[in-house]
Amino acid sequence: MAAVYKSLSKSAKKVEDTENDNNTTTTNGGFRKNKQRVLILSSRGVTYRHRHLLNDLAAMLPHGRKDVKFDSKSKLYQLNELAELYNCNNVMFFEARKGKDLYMWFSKVPNGPTVKFHAQNLHTMEELHFTGNCLKGSRPLLSFDLAFEQEPHYRVIKEVFLQMFGVPQGARKSKPFIDHVMSFSIADGKIWVRNYEIREVEKAKGEKDSEGNDIVPESDKSSSKKRKGAPNAELKDTDVSLVEIGPRFVLTPIIIQEGAFGGPIIYENKRFISPNQVRSELRKAKATRHNTRVEQVKERLGKLETLTAQAKKEKDVLDTRELFA
Amino acid sequence: MPRQSTRTKKPATKALEAEKIEKIVEEKPQKEQKKRGRKPKQVVEETPVEDKMDVEEEQKAEETTTQTKADEKPEQQEEAGSDSEEGSDDEEDNDLDLDALDESDSDSEFERDLNEKQSAAGIQANKYQKAAEESSDEEEDEDEIDIDELDVDGEEGEEVKAISRARQTINNKQGLLTALKRFALDTTDKVPFAFHQSIVAKKVTEESIPSIDDDLARELAFMNQALEAARVGRALLRKEGVPFTRPTDYFAETLRSDETMEKVKAKLIEEATAKKASAEARKQRDLKKFGKQVQVAKQQERAKQKRDTLEKINLLKKKRKDGGGPTGANEAEDLFDVAVDNELKGGPGGNNSKKRGRDGKEGGGPNAKRQRKDAKFGFGGKKKYAKSNDALSSGDVSGFSARKMKSGGPAGGKPKKFKPAPRPGKARRKAGAGKR
Repeated sequence: MAAVYKSLSKSAKKVEDTENDNNTTTTNGGFRKNKQRVLILSSRGVTYRHRHLLNDLAAMLPHGRKDVKFDSKSKLYQLNELAELYNCNNVMFFEARKGKDLYMWFSKVPNGPTVKFHAQNLHTMEELHFTGNCLKGSRPLLSFDLAFEQEPHYRVIKEVFLQMFGVPQGARKSKPFIDHVMSFSIADGKIWVRNYEIREVEKAKGEKDSEGNDIVPESDKSSSKKRKGAPNAELKDTDVSLVEIGPRFVLTPIIIQEGAFGGPIIYENKRFISPNQVRSELRKAKATRHNTRVEQVKERLGKLETLTAQAKKEKDVLDTRELFA
Repeated sequence: MPRQSTRTKKPATKALEAEKIEKIVEEKPQKEQKKRGRKPKQVVEETPVEDKMDVEEEQKAEETTTQTKADEKPEQQEEAGSDSEEGSDDEEDNDLDLDALDESDSDSEFERDLNEKQSAAGIQANKYQKAAEESSDEEEDEDEIDIDELDVDGEEGEEVKAISRARQTINNKQGLLTALKRFALDTTDKVPFAFHQSIVAKKVTEESIPSIDDDLARELAFMNQALEAARVGRALLRKEGVPFTRPTDYFAETLRSDETMEKVKAKLIEEATAKKASAEARKQRDLKKFGKQVQVAKQQERAKQKRDTLEKINLLKKKRKDGGGPTGANEAEDLFDVAVDNELKGGPGGNNSKKRGRDGKEGGGPNAKRQRKDAKFGFGGKKKYAKSNDALSSGDVSGFSARKMKSGGPAGGKPKKFKPAPRPGKARRKAGAGKR
């Protein structure tokens, strides 16, 4: 079915291309083709949740290549070679620390940049019982917050997301329809990632059939021309609604390196607190109670000691009590 | 150091690295340091992530950035200079700058260290940067900017001695933008939307989130952003003639397997049924409660009936006493019975009440004797310990007054004003008796 559709749509596309020559020139000559391949892999020591998130993301990226766990956490530059081996120009690396913290490295491979995130609030598709669903490998619409345009480091991050999560046009396993939105929003200094299904809400039932018939078998010129007029009418009648699919996660940017897993750090988030520090603060706060108690005991014992010492102190010969006893 | 290989890249990286490195130095007040028993040198700690400090930090950053920049430059410039000796057009202005820079170089050990680190990092970076080719004029521009800054900043170099270690907050905007330019896709209006399919929202999402902890509002804001994008994206794609909606007869593998969707469905159904069941249960409970009310009402009604019949009987009895003369006991009783029957038949009770009326025990409650006894001796309940103290009574000291205690009067009583006349003596009593 898919193959049949592909062939049909290809022919339709050809027709369209010939139709408007201006467009084709720009598409072929004006900009280079968007070729992206993402190497998706994790370090050792990931939890099941990290692993499931990785699987979810891998399922969403038809241009992704999942690889086995990477052994090292310190020699990340080896990932560059690995990516080259697999013909990938993006690396999405999940680094798990202490079996609980997840750091995500997003890197453009040959020459950077690299963005390191701390991932929190991970919820995989399976555990979120959302009703949304979409085609596997369909190209998502990428929705970015306006805040992504306001700071240079966010612009870099946006571009990285765009190239990693955006399925390039004509990717090998991609599907021809657009039925989900990935949204990236910035709130509280963190990037919140959501994935929604686009559901068309029809007002009249007849509309849907006509649309379906219109769009799919587009083999001759006349129908494609007709369709061009049609969408406006359709737009008025149908509306879109969103149903969440999942997964959900929140990324805190930590650093941006200029190179791929190396190079000078061109951005460092000073608002980021390492989870280790957070935990230690918590522990310290808890420890204070005990510490104060111990201190009190010490103080009391000290006092007692001084008192006894005073009592034991040898009596002065010239003390009035001694003299007049 | 492989000079030959890294030579060409040097200027670009240096520019990026040093352009706007902000060093934030937090100078702790002297007092605090003494308290901690450290040497009263200026100790610079890691800046905790607190927004309050930002203002302060930024002020200091302005001072320190300039200094550090000045320190970093010379070493790198030297390298660049030695490189340029081998001769390349790009590097010529570097050479010129060097002379100016050497003057500004200071020679404290720390600074050396810092510089070495920085340059080492630079070298490492260069390894990965070979592939990144920049246009030469861009590099030149950046270099020039650097140099200008350096010349100004070099004079302040001496103050840096005070700084031992600083946490860097780096936001190298120039570097970021260059990096962005290097790998960014063209997403302008010139390319078709289907090429990138990315939409930047019209407004900042964070503004529509009242509180980050408010899950509902936050998710709604995210969703609105995505919804807007979906609408815009759909319109754009339609305009470009890219198929958007999946036709109903197009089947393909979905992102979430049928199995998962089945699970989701099952979960939904389960939830729905649970809701239904709970609603049912609540209904039942309400009914039960209502049933109880009905029962109570019935009992009350019965009691009322009982009362009514009794009253009527009493009334009849009275009538009997008043009207009828003593006409033989038997006859009278028969008549009474009939009268009672008649009366009861006329009343609302009908059969039931009549039956009860006759049946003394059930109808009229306990008999008179019993009622009397109940009134006199009480009825039911435990009587033992009824008068003994309990926690409440023993805790009640309202009857106690210290004044009374001290007055020496008889315990429990106030000083009696009207004592009953003391008992007369025996003789007087006898005399009294005699009188009587």
